[in-house]
This record gives sequence, structure tokens and C-alpha cells, in this order.
Amino acid sequence: MPDRVATEVTVSAESTAVDPARIKQMLNRHKAKIKISLRACVHCSLCAESCFLYTSHQQAPRYMPAYKFIHSTGLLYKKKGKVDRACLEKIRDIVWQDCVLCTRCYCVCGIDIPGLISLARGICRSQGVYPDFGVSGDG
Amino acid sequence: MDSTLRMLYHLAQGPLVWAAFILFWVGSVYQVARLLSLTRKMETRRRGRAPDEGPLSAARSTDGQPGRWSARLRLSIAGTHSLTIGVSVIFHTLLFMVPLFLLAHNILVDEAWGVSLFAFREKLSDYLTWLFLACVLFFLLRRILLARLRAISSFQDYYILFLAAAPFASGLLAYHQIFDYRTMITLHMLLGEIMLVSIPFTKIAHLFLFFVLRFLVNHEYSLGSGRRAWR
Repeated sequence: MPDRVATEVTVSAESTAVDPARIKQMLNRHKAKIKISLRACVHCSLCAESCFLYTSHQQAPRYMPAYKFIHSTGLLYKKKGKVDRACLEKIRDIVWQDCVLCTRCYCVCGIDIPGLISLARGICRSQGVYPDFGVSGDG
Repeated sequence: MDSTLRMLYHLAQGPLVWAAFILFWVGSVYQVARLLSLTRKMETRRRGRAPDEGPLSAARSTDGQPGRWSARLRLSIAGTHSLTIGVSVIFHTLLFMVPLFLLAHNILVDEAWGVSLFAFREKLSDYLTWLFLACVLFFLLRRILLARLRAISSFQDYYILFLAAAPFASGLLAYHQIFDYRTMITLHMLLGEIMLVSIPFTKIAHLFLFFVLRFLVNHEYSLGSGRRAWR
């Protein structure tokens, strides 16, 4: 019995190609919010302790809310959606394994971190990249 | 060499001051206007404030008892990161106060326009500048030494810290006449001008963004009316 949720994705043949145009379209819908949030983040790390995963994982930096939104939605925005599947899979692990979207993260500058992580989840899902919990009902 | 310095000095104390102030104001007004255009007024609040239950509610001041405020503070970010928040408050206050109430700056303004603000004694400004530079050192060491800061730090984080510190450091050296005064004061003016222009166009823009995001945009931790949402 694995102690973590398995993140192997069942990928169907037609969904292996990533559609950068679709990702860009999704990003553009929230462009203002993403752009301003990335600029407003002064990388102060004060959000760290508001994340229970950060405090319960020996304060590993990758659980810090700022780290998670910078390396998911932030990364997608900087690359203008031009990412490959491997990159999306890395993002998937950040936004599903390292974050449970409990929405308790606190940003001194008022950045809506859960909103941005949720957006990254939506983008991953649109490309068929999401965790397989083994209860999808497909088979 | 001397003529280049003289030219730079005259440029820095004349046209560049105007250019810097104009760019700073135009850039700032543009940024704030753009921020407001990127958000819209909401009909109703979508996400409310923090629930009334939970640890904060006990600390919420309902009957105005004096103990409640300290409890609120302890449960806030100032309680979690007392040192960093303390240093940050001192740093940001001095960043505005020292140049604004510096005697030398006010004499220049007085000579030009015949008006000036109240000014600190020179000795006090000197001490406050040292205190400011100590705060800069604190932020720099924090950024270098803490793994969680290194994980998200970029070149711009160091650059804006440099931009904040450089006019203070060069001003201090010029005041104490360490190194060549003329070079130092020219450098001080140029660095100050670069800093001013950079405010609206770099991460220093958190000067405006902080107020828009914390006071105007609606979310759980809104400090103000929080009646705006992203378009």
C-alpha cells in the first residue's frame, strides 16, 4: 500500500500532445491577476508558516505557498503556455501533491495564492494531466 | 576625467532630477490607473472575511478591552515573524522618513522654492541611516542564509534591495566625506534618481500593489472595503 497518493496518470493516446494555444487562452483569461501577483510577490517567504504541509514537512521550501504558485501558474505564464508534458507533470505534483487547496495561506501583500494554484490545476486538467486516484470509474 | 565628472554632476543635479521625478510620477499614476482598470467594482462580496469562529474570534476586539489587541497581534503575522516584521516596519518607515526630513535635502528645496519641511538634526539622520543600512543587511543575510528564501529569490530581489540601500550608503559616505566628496555626491544623486524611476517599473511597485491588493481587492484578508474583483 503506497503511503502517498499515486500520481501516475492514465493517458489516452489522443491526449498525449500538449496544446499550448489552449493553455495560453486559459492564462490570458486571468492575465491581469497573474501578472500583478507575480510582480507583487516580493519573495519575502512570510507565507511559509501559514501552510500546514510546510510546517509538517521539516519546513521544506517546496511546500511554501509562494514557491508553489511561482513554480506552477507563474512558470506557465512566463513560458506563455509553451510547455511539454514533463513540465506539466512536475506542475501537477506541485498543485496536487504539495498543495491540498485548503486556502489557508496568508500573503502579506494580499496575493490570492489558492486562486492561482487552482488555475494551474485547471490548466493541467485541460491537458489530461491530473492524479489518478484509482476510482475514476473508467475501468 | 574631471570634466566628465563635472558634466555628470551638473546633469545629475539638474535635468536628471526633473526627468526622474516626472518619470516617477507619470509611471506611478499610470500603474495605479492600470491596476484600477484591471479590477472592477463588485455588486456583492464573493468571499467573506475570516469566519467568526476560530482563534482570531477570541482575540477580536468586541468590548474594547486592552488585552485583546495584544492577542490579535500575537496571532497575526507579527506574532509568527516578530523580528522580520519589526525590522520591515523600521526599514520602510526610515526609507521615507530619512530622505524627506533630511536637513541637506530641505535646504536644497528651500533654496529652490522657499518652502521646506521640518528637518531632523544631522546627527539623528546619521544614526537613522546607519539603522536603515543595518535593516538592509538583515534582509540581505536573510535572503542568502535561509533556504526557503533562496528557493524563490531572483536577481531582481537583490537588485531592489541594492536600489534601496545605494542612495543611503552613498549619501552617508558623502556626508562623512569618505572618498572623494564630489564623486560620492554625484553617485548619490544618480543612484537616487535611478531608484525613483525604478519604483513604478520594478518589484518596488509593491509600494502601490500592497495597498490595492490588501485594501481594494476582495479576499479573506482584505484590510479595507475589499469591494473590487479582478476582471
